[in-house]
Amino acid sequence: MNALETFIVESAIDSEKAFYRQIIEDNLSSLKLGPAIGRIKVVLRPEDSLFQMVIILRDVGTKVTTLDMADVEAKTGASQEVVISIKKERYIPELLKKLWERHGKANIRQPDRWTVAVDSDKPQEEAEFLGKMIVADPRHTLHEDLVDFAIRATPEGFRVRYHLFKGNRFVFVASEESMQKEWVEEAGAMLEELLAGGKTK
Amino acid sequence: MTSIFLPYLYTGGVHKHGLILELLEDLGGYIIQKVVVGTEVNLIMLIPEKDVHLVKELSDELLGVLLVASLTGVEIAVVSPTLASHHLPHSACDVAEYLRHPGANTNMIGLARGMGRRVSLSMDYERKLINEHDIAVFTFGSFSDCIINKKPKLFEGIEIPIVVTGGPELKTEEVPGADLYVGGIGRVSHRLRHKNEIDALDTLNEEIGKVADKIRKQLAKDPLAVLPARVMKEIENQVPAISRVLSPAPITMQLNGLRVKLPYDEFHEKFENLEFDEGVVLSELANISRSKMKNYILIKIKSKSDVGFAI
Repeated sequence: MNALETFIVESAIDSEKAFYRQIIEDNLSSLKLGPAIGRIKVVLRPEDSLFQMVIILRDVGTKVTTLDMADVEAKTGASQEVVISIKKERYIPELLKKLWERHGKANIRQPDRWTVAVDSDKPQEEAEFLGKMIVADPRHTLHEDLVDFAIRATPEGFRVRYHLFKGNRFVFVASEESMQKEWVEEAGAMLEELLAGGKTK
Repeated sequence: MTSIFLPYLYTGGVHKHGLILELLEDLGGYIIQKVVVGTEVNLIMLIPEKDVHLVKELSDELLGVLLVASLTGVEIAVVSPTLASHHLPHSACDVAEYLRHPGANTNMIGLARGMGRRVSLSMDYERKLINEHDIAVFTFGSFSDCIINKKPKLFEGIEIPIVVTGGPELKTEEVPGADLYVGGIGRVSHRLRHKNEIDALDTLNEEIGKVADKIRKQLAKDPLAVLPARVMKEIENQVPAISRVLSPAPITMQLNGLRVKLPYDEFHEKFENLEFDEGVVLSELANISRSKMKNYILIKIKSKSDVGFAI
């Protein structure tokens, strides 16, 4: 599935469709969600105060361990420490957070941008553990971002919301009135349509 | 009050801009606002009609630019349904910022419960606050159904001219209660910078200029007892505390009054007793009350027919 291979916005009035497409595009880009979304369909019915959105996600990356983003080396000599040489800078904040929690800020040095050194009594064992430690889970942040995106894209007054996130499918229905079963069912049908619609993997 | 004053904006270097201030003082004009940004200075001023060419000549000599600022002395309320990220900073802030180009002072007002279709409403306090301004600009969204059928209930109790912006291209008559509708500025999540968006903002400025002119014409039929700009000058001379106020516009001019950003309890007597050369005090010429905005002082000048004379 390509990124944004299907992008449909439906509304009774054509010009309003274009406005809403723009809002959704802007929000996708500001949350950097574009590459994660394969197919998206949004239906707007302002006269019913109804907003429905279904999304099929592309394969989101697997969990990132320290070894995925850095080389881990144990140093046993004058100074006993674990040296982590960073390869992918993107996950440094998450890595540091985890290291600080485990070892305390005092025991962690950053001599330069690409190196993190951790003081440890048993560097060998510690290096093994740190190597396997999960640093980031894109799936978790993706969920947060998706919900944020849905709330940003919805008209503000639509405060009654239904959302479902299962596997790579995301369904979101919002309204100002109390939620009706048919609306959620309609959204379900839209999802089926999207699944069948676009190209296969 | 025989001479007619025209609003102008001077933009130029800080170097020698004092010459403009001196010339304006000699001509009997008024400085409304002076903003110094780095080495640049913006002067918003009222120049007597027959002397505009003198200021123009001096401004050319100083290599500055002199432009007509049609919204000078107009205080505009930019009202957005709420202060949530759906409406701010784009497009409501862009509208407010753009209205400042021709000299208007704008205040952003986010309603507490203005969002939604059925549930949107405004509070008494909010309506009174909006009514303190000269013009209210409501920034609405992208759906014509909402703008035509649902949102106009927010206009109830608003006594000043109402300008509405929204996404779809509608006619003013289609929006009940609005004095003007400008399309092409709906809900957006990016900064307004495309050509059609800037065009829409230009149209908005132009049309609001016309609304302001209409109010000025109405006022001219029964003129104010004293020019707001003259009251401003007297305040600067007689109330030294105003020079220590840090707000960008310590005295904000309106078409029929002023908002002074000093605490009401401490200062209102000083303003009531503000003296003019003709021997009258301000309380004879204007209503001085507590503003709904913070604890400021709101001065609304009475008309000539109310007072019996004008100075």
